[in-house]
Amino acid sequence: MPEPLIQVRELSKYFRTFHRREGIWGGLQNLFVREYKTVKAVDRVNLSIDRGEMVGYIGPNGAGKSTSIKMLTGILVPTSGEAIVNGFIPYRQRRQYVRTIGVVFGQRTQLWWDIAVVESFKLLRRIYEVSQKDFDARMEMFNQILGIRDYLHTPVRKLSLGERMRCDLAAALLHNPPLLFLDEPTIGLDVVAKHHIREFLRAINLEFHTTVLLTTHDLDDIEELCRRIIIIDHGTALFDGDLQVLKERLLRTKQIKFVLKDRAQAAGLTRFAGNGVSLEPVDEMTFRLRFDRTQVSASDLIRQLLASVELRDIVIEDEPIEEIIKRIYSGEASLSDGDAGAPAIGESEFGRR
Amino acid sequence: MNTLAAYLEFARVGFVNILAFRLRYYTGIITYLINVCVYYFIWRAVFASSGPIAGYDLPQMVTYVSVGWSLRSFYWNTIDQEMAYEVIEGKIAMDLIKPVSVLWMWFSRAMGESAFRLILLTLPTAAIVALIFPVQRPASGINFALFLIAALGSFALMAAINFMIGTCGIPLKSILALIRAKYWLIELLSGLLIPMSFFPRRLQIVLDWLPFEHIAYTPLQIYLGKLDGRAALFALGKQWIWVIVLFVLADAWWNRAVKKITIQGG
Repeated sequence: MPEPLIQVRELSKYFRTFHRREGIWGGLQNLFVREYKTVKAVDRVNLSIDRGEMVGYIGPNGAGKSTSIKMLTGILVPTSGEAIVNGFIPYRQRRQYVRTIGVVFGQRTQLWWDIAVVESFKLLRRIYEVSQKDFDARMEMFNQILGIRDYLHTPVRKLSLGERMRCDLAAALLHNPPLLFLDEPTIGLDVVAKHHIREFLRAINLEFHTTVLLTTHDLDDIEELCRRIIIIDHGTALFDGDLQVLKERLLRTKQIKFVLKDRAQAAGLTRFAGNGVSLEPVDEMTFRLRFDRTQVSASDLIRQLLASVELRDIVIEDEPIEEIIKRIYSGEASLSDGDAGAPAIGESEFGRR
Repeated sequence: MNTLAAYLEFARVGFVNILAFRLRYYTGIITYLINVCVYYFIWRAVFASSGPIAGYDLPQMVTYVSVGWSLRSFYWNTIDQEMAYEVIEGKIAMDLIKPVSVLWMWFSRAMGESAFRLILLTLPTAAIVALIFPVQRPASGINFALFLIAALGSFALMAAINFMIGTCGIPLKSILALIRAKYWLIELLSGLLIPMSFFPRRLQIVLDWLPFEHIAYTPLQIYLGKLDGRAALFALGKQWIWVIVLFVLADAWWNRAVKKITIQGG
């Protein structure tokens, strides 16, 4: 079996932060005696990612996602543990290592703020020693999907966020790295820009087999791009595995949304409520039945529904993935052994430790 | 030499980048002219009631001030301030993901900027100053050639010092006060405001062992011919040894600081 592209063992980053006392007296004390506390931003994380995978790395704010990415990109030195990425130790062999990766931080730009985008691209071409032929070919491809040609000669500060993000993505991939890190690439973008970016990521993954590790708060990113997700909170990995497996295990409720033909029949619906089923009106004619899929069979429910009322439309929906994730973050849903058929934490079908 | 090409590109982008701030340089010329005027009148008043001081007469002093401020407009750079802002904004992360030496990257950028300053600030300032004030010519052609080499040395020293100050931003976070302190210390200890020979004898001995006087005093001594031939070469040698020493120190200090880096924001 080939070596995984990213191999991380017990990786931890602890920050020592200065605890500020309040008030005048506290402020004076701060000047002389400082109290520190240790924050475990990332706590013994293990992971292993293979070539060509697209992995979603998610977690609530402050969970340790960005810190992990910064250690994997060689920016931060870990407190303990080890990481081998592309055959390098990122924080020790930074300069050779970063040649083999592309990085996009959604909240920052690597482009020069006050000059035309194309100047930054020219600079990057030199830094990464990309031949003019490759450069032209890649710019052509980037332009086809991202449509960046129109604003190549505009200073970055005059670009919209979506335009800037497309340029940043192109900049990160100019040297065609086998591995791409994306930290919240779609943050603050409109639907069209998000679509372009996802399309682009899929294309480069398909064409160049680029491995992608992305953090995001937008679960549509995950659903559209990643088969595998890693959920992290309080610095530790809560789940690492297939998105479908997560859904199977934690999907509790399903819902049937339907539209009545006749308003008068609405009164008859109340008898469906109860026994693990709840009835919610959406508007005058539209209603939603939400039920626990382990207790109630969807087909039985539909049969009963069709027998008692006339419908114009009906849709069966899964619980949105947001709801599942929300339950995990709040600790309501457990991913530990207690759950039926759940694999132990940190041991996914991709994990090979 | 592809790496060299990359750093030259940084210099080019530094040059292009500063074009965006052209206006600042037109006002810069006025600022430098005002400085020369102020010191011209101060020294004229001083020399009115006195003979030569510490080996300088009035025409030499006027030349010292005029050439000195023109020189400063070339070697000056703001690496420290830019680094301070990068640390505050967390942009320093974007430098670390590039396969380049961060020290040489900043140096190259500053070089591009200084090339720009030379054309748009130093030469116009020098030309206007020479028209208004009685500025002496360089002592000889050789002195002027050595002066130009020393001017490059001044730039390199300033770049290394500013890079070290900028690096302090990593552990200290806010270094704006440090930058201000450095500003006045360099103006004074470089010999820009007063020639070193005006300082008390003991202080001169101490300052002789420090790199600062090579920023302004040494090139100006060469220009005026107070350092000639061998003495000039010796001073130039000392200056460039300091350049190497400060770059080695800057590199070591950066490598130490970067291990302790924490990125602000997210």
